[in-house]
Amino acid sequence: MKLWRGLVDLVELREPATVLALFRICLGLMVLYTIGSVVWHDIVELVWMDAQHGGYRTLKGGNFLVQWLGGPSPDLVWALIAASLVAGLALTLGLGGRLVAFATLWLTMAVTDLNGQAGGSYDELLTSGLWILVLGPSSATWSADCRIRTGAWHDPSATSGSWVRWLGTFQVILAYCSTGFQKVSAYWTPAGGYSALYYILQQPSWQRWDMSAAAYVYPLTQLMSFATWSWEVGAPLVWLWLWLRHTRERGGRLRRWVLRWDLRAAFALFGLVLHLGVWATMEVGPFTWVTLSFYLCFFHPDEVQAAWARLRRRVAPAG
Amino acid sequence: MKQLWPHLKAAFVVSHCLALLLMAIPAPGGGMSKSAWADPTVQGEFEVWTERLNAWGADLTVAELEAELWDFATAYMAKRKAVLDPLQPYYRYTGTTQSWRMFVAPHRYPARLHVELKEEGDWRDLYIARSAEADWRSRQLDHDRMRAAIFRFSWKPYLRYYESFTRWVAARAAEDFPEAEQVRLRFWKYKTASPEMVRAGEVPEGKWILPRVLDLDDHRGAP
Repeated sequence: MKLWRGLVDLVELREPATVLALFRICLGLMVLYTIGSVVWHDIVELVWMDAQHGGYRTLKGGNFLVQWLGGPSPDLVWALIAASLVAGLALTLGLGGRLVAFATLWLTMAVTDLNGQAGGSYDELLTSGLWILVLGPSSATWSADCRIRTGAWHDPSATSGSWVRWLGTFQVILAYCSTGFQKVSAYWTPAGGYSALYYILQQPSWQRWDMSAAAYVYPLTQLMSFATWSWEVGAPLVWLWLWLRHTRERGGRLRRWVLRWDLRAAFALFGLVLHLGVWATMEVGPFTWVTLSFYLCFFHPDEVQAAWARLRRRVAPAG
Repeated sequence: MKQLWPHLKAAFVVSHCLALLLMAIPAPGGGMSKSAWADPTVQGEFEVWTERLNAWGADLTVAELEAELWDFATAYMAKRKAVLDPLQPYYRYTGTTQSWRMFVAPHRYPARLHVELKEEGDWRDLYIARSAEADWRSRQLDHDRMRAAIFRFSWKPYLRYYESFTRWVAARAAEDFPEAEQVRLRFWKYKTASPEMVRAGEVPEGKWILPRVLDLDDHRGAP
């Protein structure tokens, strides 16, 4: 009962809605990127239409929304693409609140689910993030909705439940941990000489360019294989750290010792370097940017506000 | 209702997290295919793990380990399905499917797609994956979504999609090269070079797989 009461108290906590707004802007841009790049590269017919209409394969009926609308005809596919781009733009601008977030989610799913072979985990991470935006007031500030409501783009008094942001941290850490525990290949272990990363970089499917030069820094790739796997599997420790910090008033030697280091910032910094490394060497679509969007959720709005203020002072010192 | 609302919210958060957690528990998913397990990359994994387990005192052959794992994975997937089935509507309508099998293993025997064109009796390279020279329609074929699809084509469970892809390529080649006679698609399958091989300047050996030759006259005007 005490545990439940504590949980109820937790979901009642509120915080400035700025981080949720930034998360919304990032995911809105990701919708524009993920759908827009397919249009830009002229592969709409190739990947999202049936072989009868210029696609490379026979499509099944599409997801529930596509089936409700009569199946993936070319007109419907183009209409869904146009609607998802409009919805993505509205989401980025913060127009239409949760309804637009929900519409963006369903439209994006309808399009990307047309051909499950031509996609990646970034589609699922993106839609998981869009669902979080449905759950919270992501357009309460830094949005057109805010401008309409208050006359200003930003409303410092706008708040959201902290739990919405926490769901973002839960999602990204769960994804890391899950992928870490699925790396059962010997190449990720001492049995395979921690050579996974080196050999993944040699696969032509994802290479941005020839990666044979990695052979000359092989020990570094071994170290990164070990570090990546450990970092993924150890990701839940960030939840523990966040919990210990949230309950810091309870004191205790262990808690104080753990909180001497900002484990979350170190985790995020390693992740940032890793994802930028993946982006520089491999073509994995919007994966890097969708994942990094979730990193915003690691930080309390007050911390983001303080970091922004520090940055502004450095860029434009007073006087 | 005002008093009940926080409890409902808390119940939702717990249910949501639990649903996500259950689906994120590792599972082989689409990897449950005997033909995929026969690929040299997967067989190589069985060999390394058999060796390692035997070093720890087990007494197994590669075939026995594979059979044990198949039985375990089949039973596990059946139980997983039973647990997740009631939750499927939530995943489906909220876009919260949790499938995080990302780079679980390096593909030691990858396959590189080659597309060649026959004009006036001679073959020439049209498209080679990641080639800067043979880059026909690379703007389309090199997009990450097409890379994901082409990656799958050399695995047996996706063979029928490869066949339909060859028809797409033939139709586009017929459109772009009205005088050409045939198009040929095939994959160069090879074992990726070890660091030692790269440093010694050795090129890995390989073999052609899945060759398909299509007459362009049969595909002119096709969608």
